Amino acid sequence: MKKEDTVMLISAEGFEFVIDRKAAMVSQTIRNMLTGGFLETEHGKVNFPEISTTILEKICQYFHWSLQYASLWMYVMMQGMWGAWYPVALI
Amino acid sequence: MSSGPKKRNFQIEAFKHKVVVDPKYAEKTWKVLEDAIREIYNHNASGLSFEELYRNAYNMVLHKFGERLYSGLVSTMTLHLQSMSKSIEAAQGASFLDELNTKWNDHNKALQMIRDILMYMDRTFIPSTHKTPVHELGLNLWRDNVIHNSNIQSRLLNTILELIQRERTGEVINRGLMRNIIKMLMDLGPSVYQEDFEKSFLQVSADFYRAESQEYIECCDCADYLKKAERRLNEEIDRVSHYLDTKTETKITNVVEKEMIANHKLRLIHMENSGLVKMLLDDKFEDLARMYNLFHRVSIGLSTIRDVMTSHIRDTGKQLVTDPEKSKNPVEFVETLLEKRDKYDKIISSAFSNDKTFQNALSSSFEYFINLNPRSPEYISLFVDDKLRKGLKGVKDDDVELILDKVMILFRYLQEKDVFEKYYKQHLAKRLLSGKTVSDDAERSLIVKLKTECGYQFTSKLEGMFTDMKTSQDTMQGFYAACGAELGNGPTLVVQVLTTGSWPTQSTNTCNLPVELSTLCEKFRSYYLGTHTGRRLTWQTNMGTADLRATFGEVHKYELNVSTYQMCVLMLFNNTEHLSYKEIEQATEIPSSDLKRCLQSLACVKGKNVLRKEPMSKDIGEDDVFSVNDSFTSKLRKVKIGTVVAQKESEPEKQETRQRVEEDRKPQIEAAIVRIMKSRRVLDHNNIIAEVTKQLQSRFLANPGEIKKRIESLIERDFLERDNEDRRLYRYLA
Repeated sequence: MKKEDTVMLISAEGFEFVIDRKAAMVSQTIRNMLTGGFLETEHGKVNFPEISTTILEKICQYFHWSLQYASLWMYVMMQGMWGAWYPVALI
Repeated sequence: MSSGPKKRNFQIEAFKHKVVVDPKYAEKTWKVLEDAIREIYNHNASGLSFEELYRNAYNMVLHKFGERLYSGLVSTMTLHLQSMSKSIEAAQGASFLDELNTKWNDHNKALQMIRDILMYMDRTFIPSTHKTPVHELGLNLWRDNVIHNSNIQSRLLNTILELIQRERTGEVINRGLMRNIIKMLMDLGPSVYQEDFEKSFLQVSADFYRAESQEYIECCDCADYLKKAERRLNEEIDRVSHYLDTKTETKITNVVEKEMIANHKLRLIHMENSGLVKMLLDDKFEDLARMYNLFHRVSIGLSTIRDVMTSHIRDTGKQLVTDPEKSKNPVEFVETLLEKRDKYDKIISSAFSNDKTFQNALSSSFEYFINLNPRSPEYISLFVDDKLRKGLKGVKDDDVELILDKVMILFRYLQEKDVFEKYYKQHLAKRLLSGKTVSDDAERSLIVKLKTECGYQFTSKLEGMFTDMKTSQDTMQGFYAACGAELGNGPTLVVQVLTTGSWPTQSTNTCNLPVELSTLCEKFRSYYLGTHTGRRLTWQTNMGTADLRATFGEVHKYELNVSTYQMCVLMLFNNTEHLSYKEIEQATEIPSSDLKRCLQSLACVKGKNVLRKEPMSKDIGEDDVFSVNDSFTSKLRKVKIGTVVAQKESEPEKQETRQRVEEDRKPQIEAAIVRIMKSRRVLDHNNIIAEVTKQLQSRFLANPGEIKKRIESLIERDFLERDNEDRRLYRYLA
C-alpha cells in the first residue's frame, strides 16, 4: 500500500492505527481534518488524546465494515404483481 | 436479571465525563479558539491542529458554554471583517474591486475552516437555540460590515456601473473579476443582489438606452437603427451570460426592448424612405426579418406591422385594380395580381417566418381589392383561357400544376364565383369547339380543382361538355363506319353533338350551307336520329370551322382554315367571279352583323386578304363588290383566317352577361329561402337575410334588397306568409 493511500490515527495511549484513507473518510470530521488545510493535512496523522485505544480500535473496525458494505450495491428487492423483481432502493 | 443463589455484584453506571473544576475553563478554552481564528484569517492555518480545536469547541458546547462560544465567534469575526473593510476602503481606483475580491475569497476560506472546527456547535447548539448557522452568519456579517459599510456600499455600486458603461461604449473590461463580484452579491442573497445592484443597474441602463435611442433615431434610417438595436440586445444577453444572474436577462431585455423599440415603434415603421412600406416594396428580406424578430418581443409590435402591411396592400391593390390602363389587357392584369401575391408570399415565408396571422391579413387584403373590380372574375377566366390555349405549351407538368394552383388561390378570393363560372363556361366552349386547347390533362386538372373547391354542382356542366366531345368522336366513328362507303370522295365532316343544358346558350342563326355540305349534313342527321330517337338536332353554324383547299391564280395552292360563315362565302366564288354584298347576303342568309365581320376578316386584313373588295375601304358597304384575290400569297402553306378567339367583352356584351347572371341568381336565392324556412318554420326578417347570405356565400354575395324582393315574390306565390301580429316574422306554408 502506498504511503499516500493511508492515514495514521493515534490514540490517547499512543497506539498508531494505520488505515486506508478511504476508510477514514467515512467520518465527516476526519475528512474535514484531512482536507482542511490544517496541521493534520500535511502529515496525514491525526491525534486523539481523549480517545482510548480500545475505542479507537472499534472505530477503525467500523470504518472498514462500513466501507465494505457500502461498496456492495444492495437492492432491496420487492416482488412485484406479476412475479418480477423490481429494484426499490439502493443502500 | 434472574435472582439466583449467587448475586451478581456489579452495577452499570452512567458514563460520566470529566468534571470541569477550573472556573476559568470557558475563558481559557475560548482564548485558544480566538487565537486560532486569528491565525486562520492570517493564512496560518497549517500550523494548527484541527483535532485540538475541534475538541475544544466540542467541550465548550458539552459543558454548556455554547452561548459564550457563539457570541465570541460573532465578535471576533466582526473585528476581522472591520479591519478587512478598512483595507478595502483604502484601495485606490482600479484596485478597489481587486482588493474586495481578494478579501472576499479570504473570508470564504476562513469561514469554511471555522465552520469545520465548530461543526459540533453547528449541529447541536445552534438548531436547538434557533440561532443562525455558522456559514450563514459569516455571510451576514460580511454583508453588514463590508458591503453595507457606508464608505463601500455606494462606491461598489458606482464602480460596477461605471465598468458596465465602459463596456457598452466598446472598452474591454475584466469580466472574470466582474463575475466574481456579482457572484458575491448573489451569494449574499437575492435581496442584496437586487437592492445593491440590479435595481440601479436596470435604472441606469434604461436611461442609457433612452438617450442612445433618441440619438440614433435622429440620424439613422430604419434598417440601420434596427441593426443597432439588435446588436445592443445581443450584447446585453451576452453580458448576462458572462457575469450576471440569469434571472436578470428577461429584465434587462425588457428594458432594451422598451427603450429602443417600443417607444419608437410607430416612428420606425412610418419612417420616410426607409420604413416598413419601403422595405416591402424593395423586398428587403433581411431587414424585414430583423424588424419582425425585434417587434415580436414588444407587445402589439407585430399587430402594428401587420396593420400597416394590410393597408399598404389594400391601397396598392386598389390602385392596381381600378387602373384603367391595367384593365385593358386581362392576361396582364391577372399576371400582375399573381406577381403581387407571389411577392408577399415570399416576404411572409422568408422574413415573417410564415406567421399565420400575416397570411390571413394577406388573404383578406386580396379579397378586399380583387372584388373592387367587377370584371375580375371575367379576367381570371380569360387568363386561364390564354394559358390553356397557348401559354402552357412546353411547360412541364409540375409547373402546370403550380400555375393552376395559383389561379385557384385567386379564384378563392372572388366573391362572385358564379360570374366566373359563366365566363369560364363560355371560354371553355370556344376552346373545345375550336380544338385549341393545349393540354387535355391541364383542363381536367383544373376542373378537378374547381370541384374540390366548390362542389360537384359547380363542375357538373363543365364535365358534361367534355363528355359531349368524347361522345361526338365515337359518333363520328360510327357514322363513317356505317355510311363511309356512300360518301366516297366528298368533303369530310366532323360533327360535335352538344347537349343543350351543358353548353352556354347561343342563339341559332340562319345560314345556307353549300350544296355539297347540306346533303352530307342531312345524311348525318338521319344517321344520328336513327340511333337516338326523340332528340332534336339544330346546326350551330356560328361556331364551326372549315379547312378549304384553294388555288389562287392557277398557281398558288393553299390550305385555308376559316369559320363556317367564311366557308359559305368563299364557296360561292366557285361559281362566279364577282359578287356584291347584297348577293352574298341573299345567297348565304347569314345575319348582317356577322356577315360584315366575316367579310372584313376575309378582305380587309393585311396578309390574309383572300378576297378583294371594291372600294378598298375598311368598312363594308351595301354596294361593295367582292372577288377572289388571285395575287394572294403567304409564306405558309396553311393559312388561318379569323379564328373565333375569346375576347374581352364589349360593353353591351358585358351588360348582357351581367344581366343573365342576375337572372340566374334569383332562383338560387329563392331556393335558399325555401330551404331555410322549411327547416325553421318561423323566422324574422334579419335572421333570414343573415342565413341566406351565409348559405350563398360560396357562390356570390347576396344583396339584401334582392333577398327582400324574392321573399315578397314567394309570399305572392303562397310559399310564405307574413305573421299577423308581428310584421317582421315570416311563416312557412307547407
